[in-house]
Amino acid sequence: MNTSSLLITGIGVISAAGNNAATTLQSFKQGTRNAGPVTLFPTILKSPVFEVQRLPAGYYLEGLRTLSLALVAVDQALQEARLADLTGLRVGVCMGTTVASQLNALQFYKSYRESGAAPMTSVDRFLKGNLAEFIARKIGARGPQASVVNACSSGTDAIGIALSWLKSGLCDIAIAGGSDELNHVPYCGFNSLGIANPGLCAPFDRDRKGLNLGEGAGVLVMETREMARKRGASADLMVSGYGSSSDAYHLTAPSPEGVGLKAALAAALSEAGIGPSSIGFVNAHGTGTHDNDQVEGTVLAEVFGTGLKMLSTKGLTGHTLGAAGGIEAVFTALGLREGWIPASAGFQNRDAAIPLEPVRETTAINGRYAISTSLAFGGTNAAIVIGREAGS
Amino acid sequence: MKIVGLGMICSEGQGSANLEKALQRGWKEPGTVATPHIPGGAYPAYLVDFANLPDKTLLKKIRRSDAVSKMSVLAAADALADSGIKDITQKKLGIILTTAFGPHVTTFNFLDDILDHGDAAVSPTTFSNSVHNAAASYIAMSLDIKGPTLTITQFQFSFQSGLQLAQAWLDQGRCDYVLAGAVDQYGDVLGYVADHKLTTAKDGKIKPFTFKPTCQIPGEGAAFFLLSNKHEGNTYCCVDAIHTNADPDHGQSVDINIIDADGMLLDESAYLTSLSKDIPTAAYSPLFGSMMIGGAFNVAAGALMLKQQRRYATPVQDNPHNIRLLTATEDGALAKIRCTGYNCYAERSVIYLTKL
Repeated sequence: MNTSSLLITGIGVISAAGNNAATTLQSFKQGTRNAGPVTLFPTILKSPVFEVQRLPAGYYLEGLRTLSLALVAVDQALQEARLADLTGLRVGVCMGTTVASQLNALQFYKSYRESGAAPMTSVDRFLKGNLAEFIARKIGARGPQASVVNACSSGTDAIGIALSWLKSGLCDIAIAGGSDELNHVPYCGFNSLGIANPGLCAPFDRDRKGLNLGEGAGVLVMETREMARKRGASADLMVSGYGSSSDAYHLTAPSPEGVGLKAALAAALSEAGIGPSSIGFVNAHGTGTHDNDQVEGTVLAEVFGTGLKMLSTKGLTGHTLGAAGGIEAVFTALGLREGWIPASAGFQNRDAAIPLEPVRETTAINGRYAISTSLAFGGTNAAIVIGREAGS
Repeated sequence: MKIVGLGMICSEGQGSANLEKALQRGWKEPGTVATPHIPGGAYPAYLVDFANLPDKTLLKKIRRSDAVSKMSVLAAADALADSGIKDITQKKLGIILTTAFGPHVTTFNFLDDILDHGDAAVSPTTFSNSVHNAAASYIAMSLDIKGPTLTITQFQFSFQSGLQLAQAWLDQGRCDYVLAGAVDQYGDVLGYVADHKLTTAKDGKIKPFTFKPTCQIPGEGAAFFLLSNKHEGNTYCCVDAIHTNADPDHGQSVDINIIDADGMLLDESAYLTSLSKDIPTAAYSPLFGSMMIGGAFNVAAGALMLKQQRRYATPVQDNPHNIRLLTATEDGALAKIRCTGYNCYAERSVIYLTKL
């Protein structure tokens, strides 16, 4: 099956930038940066974070915020795809996360290590909280399931896996993306690595000082053209290609030559059947850390040229870890659909070591294709190509 | 898709030859493990003896990694070596690592850091190793594999999900080879949780055919498979089909049913619906312990049997439901094996292995 046959019939998104696509686009236009101190858990650390301001009514699940965020995005995407009832359909669920895969319940563990016993509430939540399994059961999807735990590329990889499922006929519809809550454990972890920014992040900026964590979820409903036709669903967007590659270099630092990212981009473009010149813009991983931005910016310039329209949306959402690939795929799709991308928030001064710079203002884009990239812990790199239907 | 290389590590030791010896030998009493936060407590467990592993070179290379990563790297390296395929790491090779619980011991070590030293004084090394994809990354780094590298978690069906994706990657040309495997580690917190929520076998025996009530003994280990669509290397068998939720091939004749029953569910009676009086059934969990990724070890046992054309008796034969068990170890023609697992929602996952 050709990837031009894999349509995006629904999108859903929630982040600090907005609780759905419409409010997100509004805050993108205004350049709003909803960052502030942590309110979700007590901490002495000061790095600002991008928290979701208000979870929509009806979505609160105690101790399962990652799942709540995912459900918000999934419901939006299903609604846009006009998929109210999945009975009789072959639907797969593939979701990326980092937090929902770990039993990092501090109070449970504290009680256990102090007394040798602890209430099982957190364990029960964890055991029923496998992200893909939970979503699939909630919406009645009976196809393949996978929770992808590939650190910061999880969401992008989840979309890539869904693409493989659809191409191989394992399902006709796939719900794919990522979700992560802001959590105490990674917040401390990123601080310990010395890459949590004491101020607001500034991806690709000369004076960048690290990342801000965020939270949210981004989900695509992907389906075969044949399935969409049968259901009478219309679509103007498609997932055209996916590439993934490992640096095999270092656990926490990208390969200085960006070998894995180059290979991932080449594979994604090849699957899409297009060359670099067809790419209208790149929604970069752009965390605001020194190493990531330098390697990524250099590779993007090498592959696409220094005139590439490029941005990082992490200045508007923070780094949402396992959700980032899903959220940024949605933003990439929205950029193609709307015909513009927002200013890369936080960027002010060009870094002479990076051969290109992100867009400084809301920018009109041309072209039918765009790319979203993810670079993860462990040296994993992933890229997806999203396309707009010809004539749409 | 074919299994062209096999590597593993479990309480029986490193290498598939040790699993083979265990299959030949039959049940062995588990060891015991102390419970550091429960004074005087101990659980039976099938644990890896890291001090006596033959490989020192790779272990030295990954000395900063945790047990999940060490087991993964050793089993993955063995699978590549077992294939005998020259320069395999320089080919289009991907990694799919699956796990139910990931590096939970390292995660709890990191929580120790937070509780003991506060948010601002935690170890970056511990944090880096607590990320779920650290083990797959260690495989890529230590074996120099630059293909797609992925980690998936799906509790009981983690391995089956990974295998299904490996098939898609090979069919679509994303990779020419996939190193797919499963890993899980014992830790005292999960030992406590398992003992609290399930029933620990007091006599040291997992009884896979009692179904309800069930009993478990924790295990740990890693099993990796080098997969290819080509018939080359040290080919064991073909993975014909992987089904989740439904089994459209259930009517097919098979020579042996291998079931993943191991006491990790309070009620495993759903297995009864998948069995037939005409087909002998085996379960090898009493050899390596209870693990949500135990299905990977059962698939390894099935692959060994198909390659050697040898049936291994199911190691613990308590049989209150009078099902037809594989009771004798003997040579004999084997064409097809069905490996079946259930999750806590009584959903089924099935892998069909066939002789080449």
